[in-house]
Amino acid sequence: MTRSLTFLGLESSCDDTAAAIVRLRDDTPEILSSVVAGQTELHAPYGGVVPEIAARAHAEKLDLCVEEALSQAGIGIEDLDGIAVTAGPGLIGGVMSGVMCAKGIAAGAGLPLVGVNHLAGHALTPRLTDALAYPYLMLLVSGGHCQFLIAHGPEEFTRLGGTIDDAPGEAFDKAAKLMALPQPGGPAVEAEARSGDPKAFAFPRPLLDRPGCDMSFSGLKTALLRARDQVVAEHGGLPRAVRADLCASFQQAVADVLVEKSRRALTDYLTHAPAHPAFAVAGGVAANSAIRAGLETVSREMGVEFRAPPLRLCTDNAAMIAWAGIERFRLGARDGMNLMARPRWPLDQSAAPLLGSGKKGAKA
Amino acid sequence: MRDRMILGFDTSAAHCAAALLSGDEIVALRAEEMGRGQAERLMPLLEEMLAEQGIGWRDLSVIGVGIGPGNFTGVRIAVAAARGLALSLKIPAIGVSSLDALAEDGPRPMRALLDARRGDVYVQDFGGGPRPSPDLVPRDEAIAEAAAEGLDIVEGVSAEALATAIARIAARRADTQQPRPAPLYLRSADAAPPADPPPRILD
Repeated sequence: MTRSLTFLGLESSCDDTAAAIVRLRDDTPEILSSVVAGQTELHAPYGGVVPEIAARAHAEKLDLCVEEALSQAGIGIEDLDGIAVTAGPGLIGGVMSGVMCAKGIAAGAGLPLVGVNHLAGHALTPRLTDALAYPYLMLLVSGGHCQFLIAHGPEEFTRLGGTIDDAPGEAFDKAAKLMALPQPGGPAVEAEARSGDPKAFAFPRPLLDRPGCDMSFSGLKTALLRARDQVVAEHGGLPRAVRADLCASFQQAVADVLVEKSRRALTDYLTHAPAHPAFAVAGGVAANSAIRAGLETVSREMGVEFRAPPLRLCTDNAAMIAWAGIERFRLGARDGMNLMARPRWPLDQSAAPLLGSGKKGAKA
Repeated sequence: MRDRMILGFDTSAAHCAAALLSGDEIVALRAEEMGRGQAERLMPLLEEMLAEQGIGWRDLSVIGVGIGPGNFTGVRIAVAAARGLALSLKIPAIGVSSLDALAEDGPRPMRALLDARRGDVYVQDFGGGPRPSPDLVPRDEAIAEAAAEGLDIVEGVSAEALATAIARIAARRADTQQPRPAPLYLRSADAAPPADPPPRILD
């Protein structure tokens, strides 16, 4: 007998509006369509994502993306078995628009609704792309997040550590701004770094002197600003060749921190004696080839299989949300029409908060 | 034949409000005041209302939704839900502004006025007047201008009246092709370009 589950996923937690259809048949998942409408141009003048601008775009694009995803998949609403939607963490205006659109679709179609943690979407992607067996180690590294997680199951994660301030993607964006490079900063800084000397500037490797897997990137950003200002003061501007050196040295510092902390996370992970040890990376920063090469090397040294899903599934997308929805649905998860959009929602509820530990609780 | 059923709802201010129109008659009306939590309450409230009438989502012919102006997040809650419902039910969702709703039973000529905070008001003139389109103006100016133009000012609307007017206006507009509902903001997103300029690049 063929058992098949087809889910629509919706994602709107940052600056990408996305809808996708994923079908699981005989334990093999397939992405039937994955539509991502970005907002880069909308936010470009402000040098960062403006929450209200993002929310406005999501509210008017979500249903269009869903229609496009259905059409590309060649199916109708009646062919779906459920609706999965990012219910947090993220920019609340966007998350709320997504949750409300998903509720409308689910109610009208009489389909089950499953709320998904955006981070779980990223963390479960290696199961969609590579059928990784639990438990595997995950580095989630993007513009908004940076953490090491052991995935034990669709709803069971242990956080080994993460950033205590900025995420690396955010640091790359700020670095690009300081260097008069375009947004998004990651690809721009990486391209510039290719012609630079990674040893030209001695930037700090924050928290490497302390045990554990926690990271910090905000001091690195400040060090880059100071170095740039010094160069500008000396030359009356930023010479192209020095800019390349600054970019290369900055990128190397980020890569070194991520690689060394990965080594510690892998050591911790291996104490769980996984049958098929695997380390996967997700998030936009995983596209950086210097960082990726470093992670591949440390995995090889530790005898752990390294997996990086294709870039379109590393960055924000809705296929990962549809897939995480299917995984939760198979565990029996169903959400009601009172499903709440949550700006803060850590995956590992037991770990001590790293960020935003105030009254409202941990961010992620 | 059974009358056409039109559901109108609104979360553009501190409430969840809904009205169910059967033909020309309002058969159910709900309004709950709430400062927050509309995103969790809206759909259950609508489902309760339909269930009380012994009908379901698929019995609806048209959806009317409040597009503001009002609370940005609140407006998006209702608009996003309406667009999702329209997609799955394959029925039209029609956006109705709070100003149109306010003018529904008002005198003519009149100036509809809604508080926009920070000393401003959202205004629109109906049946003549200098502001035939929705606008954001300082309160004092809006009131002085209306007096000079001989416009009756109608300010504010109850949540019940708002939902009722949204359903009635949507029912009328449903006979012609309408755009998808989109929030009416009238105020731009507060965003300023970065203060620190990029360095000059030397070749």
